[in-house]
Amino acid sequence: MIEVNDVTVRFGGVVALNAVQASFSQPVSGIIGPNGAGKTTLMNVLSGFVQVHSGSVICQGVNLLSMAPHKRAKWGLRRSFQKEEIANDLTVLENVLVQADHVPGNTADKLAQVHDLLAFVGMADKTDTPGRSLNSFERRLTDIAKCMAGQPRLVMFDEPAGGLSVDETQRLGDLILQVHDRTGAQVLVIDHDVELISRICSETLVLDFGKRIAFGPTRDVLADPKVKSAYLGTEEV
Amino acid sequence: MRLWHITPSGWAGLIFAALAFFLFPALAGNLWLSVFISTGCFTIAVAGVSFMYARLGMVSLTQVGLMGLGGWVMLRLNHAYGLPFEVNLILAALVTMVCGWIMALPAMRMRGLYLALVTLMAAGGLEILFATYQFPNGGDGFWGVKTGSAAPFTRPALATTPEAYLRYVVVIALLCFLLIEAHRRMKPGRAWAMIRRSEAAAMAAGVNVTFYKTWAFGIAGLLAGVAGGLLAGSLGLLDDATFRASESVLIFALAVVGGARYWYGALIAATLYRILPALLNNWGVDADLSFVIFGAGLLHAVITAPDGIAGQIAGALKARKAAKGRAS
Repeated sequence: MIEVNDVTVRFGGVVALNAVQASFSQPVSGIIGPNGAGKTTLMNVLSGFVQVHSGSVICQGVNLLSMAPHKRAKWGLRRSFQKEEIANDLTVLENVLVQADHVPGNTADKLAQVHDLLAFVGMADKTDTPGRSLNSFERRLTDIAKCMAGQPRLVMFDEPAGGLSVDETQRLGDLILQVHDRTGAQVLVIDHDVELISRICSETLVLDFGKRIAFGPTRDVLADPKVKSAYLGTEEV
Repeated sequence: MRLWHITPSGWAGLIFAALAFFLFPALAGNLWLSVFISTGCFTIAVAGVSFMYARLGMVSLTQVGLMGLGGWVMLRLNHAYGLPFEVNLILAALVTMVCGWIMALPAMRMRGLYLALVTLMAAGGLEILFATYQFPNGGDGFWGVKTGSAAPFTRPALATTPEAYLRYVVVIALLCFLLIEAHRRMKPGRAWAMIRRSEAAAMAAGVNVTFYKTWAFGIAGLLAGVAGGLLAGSLGLLDDATFRASESVLIFALAVVGGARYWYGALIAATLYRILPALLNNWGVDADLSFVIFGAGLLHAVITAPDGIAGQIAGALKARKAAKGRAS
């Protein structure tokens, strides 16, 4: 359970998030909204990269906002970025291992888990390939394996399907759907691809101009006239 | 992930170290032995500054100042307590490592040019300290300075002659490079690579960015301390003019020219810094001409060779290998 309670974020005079409230309880939940709606800001609040003006975030009974960003990762928070952050001079294996490095456990177990995860995402034959030699989909797959390393409790994907083809997006969606079953972690997905969100997310939060305009089962949310108008605009007569 | 794997570049380094160990002391006269020893010491110092730049993208302009600090501690301990050379060297390295950490703490809040400026100010401060108090030469009191000739310096028992001392420096330099490589292949190396990619991504991966940056400063400080201690051991006394802030800037520029990502980049930089002026002197040419050559080299590196001369060598070898592969 992720409880976002009245979270407000201000950047000077701009209110990026305005008393946003939501309780995510499903294994895979989505956050959608037009550009500038505050989706990534909310993810940055959860990651610790943005300070809130007010509000709290309770995740599985733990107040996330009281922890430094790297301690949230130790606790079990994982996230990917809009641009895959894969180190070019590390191999695929090392890029995933860096996430496991900072959780308790012995190196042999961590290595075994990383190999297992790379096999799961289909990168088993690329373990020794340097990051600089990967294409964007392979970088994204590596990112997914990285997000599953250690013992994740909350995994967040920020526009994971950005720049991917239809087939790649399909495969990516299949992998994200399995993250919860394999790790037990709750998953949050931000994306503009409504088709992807409707396929993989049981519940969805919709933001517009920093405000919550809808939250609930994805099918109901996508049928909401306010959501349609936020995405498509309103007809002026 | 292969921790004990020796790369072709690693083999080249080991072979070069073996050659330097056996051939250089046998072939060089006293003047060149001194030049080679000094080159070895500065190779270690450049390796520290290159390591910071290549692994973390951080510019440290205080390396020669820290080297002076290592030399100061080495001389002071030698004249005060008569401990074995190795103990003094380890203590000098640890002192500069701690100083590197202390210097890193305020610098951690800065990046890029501002970080470089903070480190340059630290180098300026050390320069003033060295110029004011000079280096210990066996005198009394905390500063240990006396007028007249310096007290004798105790070289390591294993290396009392210049030839043996050059071998000693080669072995220590090899150990320093192995220390860097071990870090690169293990958890700190992975953390540093993530930090260089993106601090946000590193934090998201659980990397304590401040801790690992401070660690890197400590390693660079440790290497500077070892280099300074070895230089003090070579000469038996040190001169403040060697450790001016401008030398730290020059060392960094030469690290870029040599190629910060490669072990032989540090060697090329130290060769340019120490051997080139000696060669020019030997040929009857003003050694200041080396500054013109350094400038041209830096322009070349900035414009066409971001990985420096070492990067160009590596690129040429790779292209040759690829061409051979296509031909066969």
